[in-house]
Amino acid sequence: MRPSVIWRWPLLMAVLTVVGLVSALLGEGGVWWGLSWAALAIPLVVMAACVVRR
Amino acid sequence: MNVRSLRRWAAVHKWTSLVCAVFLLLFCLTGLPLIFKHELRELLSQDPPYAALPADTPRASLDTIGAAARRRHPDHVPMFVFVDDDEPKVTVGMLPSPTALPTQTRLLKFDARTGELLKETEPAETSGPDFLDIMLRLHRDLFAGLPGELFLGAIGLVFAASVVSGVVLYAPFMRRLEFGTVRWRRGRRLRWLDLHNLMGIATMAWVLVVGVTGVLNELSRPLFLLYQRTDVQAMLAPHRGRPVPPLDRLSSVEAAYTLVQRELPGRTPTSVVFPNNRVGSPHHYLVWTKGSSPLTSRLFTPVLIDAERGELAMVVDLPWYLRAIQVSRPLHFGDYGGLPLKVIWFVLDLITIVVLASGLYLWLSRRRSPIEAQLAELEGVADEA
Repeated sequence: MRPSVIWRWPLLMAVLTVVGLVSALLGEGGVWWGLSWAALAIPLVVMAACVVRR
Repeated sequence: MNVRSLRRWAAVHKWTSLVCAVFLLLFCLTGLPLIFKHELRELLSQDPPYAALPADTPRASLDTIGAAARRRHPDHVPMFVFVDDDEPKVTVGMLPSPTALPTQTRLLKFDARTGELLKETEPAETSGPDFLDIMLRLHRDLFAGLPGELFLGAIGLVFAASVVSGVVLYAPFMRRLEFGTVRWRRGRRLRWLDLHNLMGIATMAWVLVVGVTGVLNELSRPLFLLYQRTDVQAMLAPHRGRPVPPLDRLSSVEAAYTLVQRELPGRTPTSVVFPNNRVGSPHHYLVWTKGSSPLTSRLFTPVLIDAERGELAMVVDLPWYLRAIQVSRPLHFGDYGGLPLKVIWFVLDLITIVVLASGLYLWLSRRRSPIEAQLAELEGVADEA
């Protein structure tokens, strides 16, 4: 498999994590907190989906 | 990746992981309750409740509260006044004498609006640490002070190397596998290898951020002490040796506090340290301020107020490395985005424990064959699957 395929999901999850960590840090409350929770939760949901799909 | 570099990275991953495994488990386990430190403290607190007053009730004057503290302990001297910003709380720290050790500090907690004394905490020497204190000390310095902090900071760097080498190894192991494949029916070892890879790669960014900011945190106290001993002492040098003015000659603490609020918008004063000849200035109130945005909420900067004349004397700017470290602190604690963010921190902490445990299992159940043979074997199985 090509590196671009191998790294597609991991990189997407890393970017989402960074967006989630930074948005609550730079933005104050409200929308920014919501964005932070959603962005950080997506990698967890992806992981759970992979584990559940057996 | 060729076989030689693959072997090298595998060795790095194995040894760095083994070196930090026990400590990482300690970080993860003690970190779990620390994520909810604030909530647990509130829950476990047996202090009398605050008076039920409208949210916009003004705070009582710090001078009134200070006078109440001195009436209660006429033989003590006030050392600092701390004004909380999310609870209506003002804490006064008092010492039996101006030269007594900080461990003899007696804490008086007041309701900030009514100025009523709610609780008195005996000096730390007589009352032991509570559960959260123990968790924090284990997490931060293993009860070993500065050497413990530096040691755990070094362990944090080893852990970062373990994560990076794990990420490097991810690609060769996933060469023939779809993302997120978990081979459930190919034996326990493959199942745990796949789970280790999936959970490790999904949490890599978070784990690296928390790990690196943890290392920065370990460095912050020694660097801060160094800064206090060198730069701050140099700034205070002209005042050194001057006698500390008697309490009745001091200007109003309340005025010093509100002066900082007025003159430095964007900074919230958190505490006022009384003039003294040890940690502060003998001639100034030292007002600690913090930034009012989440990014700067742990960025503490000192302001000096002439304690006799009540005038703003100096705003001290921290050196860039201390600012950088302080700004990165919330990223370690996860306490800057409400309760849901703390819950996410909790889940990620638990997943890190699973990655750690599965890694240990993979090492314990290892085959005594070279890495390329193992890889070929794993891939063979993948091809069949």
